[in-house]
Amino acid sequence: MLIADLLKQEFRKGFRSQAFYRGLAVKLFMGFMTLYFAAIFITIGFSLGKILEEVHDTRTPLELINGASVYIILAALTIRFFMQSLNTLNLQAYQSLPVKRSTLVNFILLKPLFSIGNYLTLLVVIPFAVRSVSAWHSGWVALQFVVVCILIIWMDIWLASYLKRRFGSDLRAFVVILLILAGVAALEYFKVFSVFGFSMKIFGFVMMNPLGLVVALLVSGMAYGLNLMFFSKNYYPEKFNEKLSRGENKVTGGFSFLEKYGTIGELIQLQIRLIFRHKRTKSLIYMSAVFMLYGLLFYTNEMYSGSPAWLIFCGLIVTGMASLTYGQWVISWESNYFDAILTKNIPAKTYIKVNYFILIAFNVISFLLSTPYLLMGTKFFFLHVAMFLFNTGINAFLLIFTATFNNKRIDLSARSMFNYQGTTYKSFLIILPVMFFPMLITFILANFLSFNMILLVLGLLGLSGVVSIPYQMKLCTQQFVRRKYALAEGFRESE
Amino acid sequence: MITISNLTKKYNGTTVLDIPALNIQPGESFGLVGNNGAGKTTLFRLILDLIEANSGEVTIKNQPVARRDEWKSYVGSFLDENFLIDFLTPDEYFAFVGKLYNKSEGDISAFLEKFSEFFNGEVTGNKKLIRELSKGNQKKTGIAAALLGDPQILILDEPFTALDPSSQIRLKRILNELQETKNTTMLISSHDLNHVTEVCKRTVVLEKGKVVRDIATSDDTLKELESYFAV
Repeated sequence: MLIADLLKQEFRKGFRSQAFYRGLAVKLFMGFMTLYFAAIFITIGFSLGKILEEVHDTRTPLELINGASVYIILAALTIRFFMQSLNTLNLQAYQSLPVKRSTLVNFILLKPLFSIGNYLTLLVVIPFAVRSVSAWHSGWVALQFVVVCILIIWMDIWLASYLKRRFGSDLRAFVVILLILAGVAALEYFKVFSVFGFSMKIFGFVMMNPLGLVVALLVSGMAYGLNLMFFSKNYYPEKFNEKLSRGENKVTGGFSFLEKYGTIGELIQLQIRLIFRHKRTKSLIYMSAVFMLYGLLFYTNEMYSGSPAWLIFCGLIVTGMASLTYGQWVISWESNYFDAILTKNIPAKTYIKVNYFILIAFNVISFLLSTPYLLMGTKFFFLHVAMFLFNTGINAFLLIFTATFNNKRIDLSARSMFNYQGTTYKSFLIILPVMFFPMLITFILANFLSFNMILLVLGLLGLSGVVSIPYQMKLCTQQFVRRKYALAEGFRESE
Repeated sequence: MITISNLTKKYNGTTVLDIPALNIQPGESFGLVGNNGAGKTTLFRLILDLIEANSGEVTIKNQPVARRDEWKSYVGSFLDENFLIDFLTPDEYFAFVGKLYNKSEGDISAFLEKFSEFFNGEVTGNKKLIRELSKGNQKKTGIAAALLGDPQILILDEPFTALDPSSQIRLKRILNELQETKNTTMLISSHDLNHVTEVCKRTVVLEKGKVVRDIATSDDTLKELESYFAV
């Protein structure tokens, strides 16, 4: 069967790509992380029943899950919409072969079903079904529960890719989805309409009534059909891969005032364009925005807000996520045109200055956006001030200085959320200390200093860094000039 | 203008370039020919300080190029697509490069005006990103950007490949004009012996990293080169 052949070729593509032979350390780290999360998921799955039993006296855990299902599915759909990369295919290679169009379309739609990553949820679902659902209801219901969950995952995959193909992934979609979620939550909260109760009824039927299985099948079949319809309307194969690249020219027009600032302004504008015209960098910014909400979780939770080290960690994330994640690959982002950077009229000193400017700008913006935390107490405000100084004075330097060691090419035009290009063990060597060093200091200092004093120490450390930025830049420039050949050589090697 | 002394470059122990001495005079048009792997691009990369020499040095105006910035303001170059910024439109790219060389917007559009024939309406004024252009139009973009800063030295690697015949002729005209009006020093490599002899007054043949011929172009040059490369 043709689709099977195509799938086989995709697997080969995966195994034979250079990325697969990436450093052993990265693979080990990824493997370790995967095991870690798998373990967490399975544990959650086994204990979920117990936890839910304590939440409500009269309803069974499965009923509670059913009630939350609408929320879970919507949330999963949102995450997928932003994280899932559209499945594409190197069409040119197949177009000229006698392969039917419908085969290609079916292949594109079926491919994600064979990706293990999509079934991580089952690590929670199956233990829960085995332990709790089968005990409260019956083995048959447990089985149906698992099957329906798989169908729901499929539906999510197809619905997300349909929405994405249909609407692209621009900022407006993000806002619309957030509004819908907020609206649903508000209805629930103000007791206008209980989505929870509604969801409990619907999913109660789907999960427990044998006929429900048919409904689930039909619904995910419909999601599949939506995609088929889209492809039949958008006949030409270029459409398969399109959509994502559209509508990206608008965002960056507003920064033309930077042109007044000569070479530095030009280079900054260039990086802004780079950020807003690529999927990977854009999602990085969105993710950073989401991480700014981390504080809501940490600061309100006794377990974390009582621990200085965790507070510091959270402050670091809230005020620095954007600069930390972007900074991790600073210089490498520009690997596609690095030779131009080296040969056009751009002094090395200016180039380093620009990267400093970008990271500091990220920090300033994050800090300004974090000021609403003031409402939760001045403690958090001071925490953010200290961490802002630390990020700007010390972490920016560490990131830029060590970036000169990361000479793996990043090809931004390969669009994918989980595009780890440019990730080597070196990136972890850089990011881990940057993230955890302040935590470690705090952990030690907390034994004999109050939290405010720790903030003062970190803040002063940061401030002394900020004052020495001109000197830091000099160091970074020297380092950059020393390493530029290795960087250029590495960047020229495409994967 | 450009002086090369005792320059060697090795990769994994094999010498890919070994030039004891080579001088290029101001205003000279210097053609570099050689088969694949002869070291043409390596030589250009060394001149542009993109790779590190194992020994020897390249100086431009008596200043070593290695790890310095001064030469960048008067050397224009285009070797390959790594010199292009593929997520910009050609217009944005020209504006970017022009500003690096302190050109005003008026300068840039006057400059591009002169290239309109060469661009053939397919490069400027388009909403297409550089990565969406054809190889030929990408090449035109890169070449024009290399010339944008009014360079005293111009370095082009294989400028004629991927161009259509009319564009090749136009490019030759542009290069010849530059020599006459601005006395630009040019270093141009090519597989095509015809093009090199038409544009360059001096032709150097590289083989396995060594200079094996260094000829002042005359009517016989093409024949001489052809017989050299004949198998």
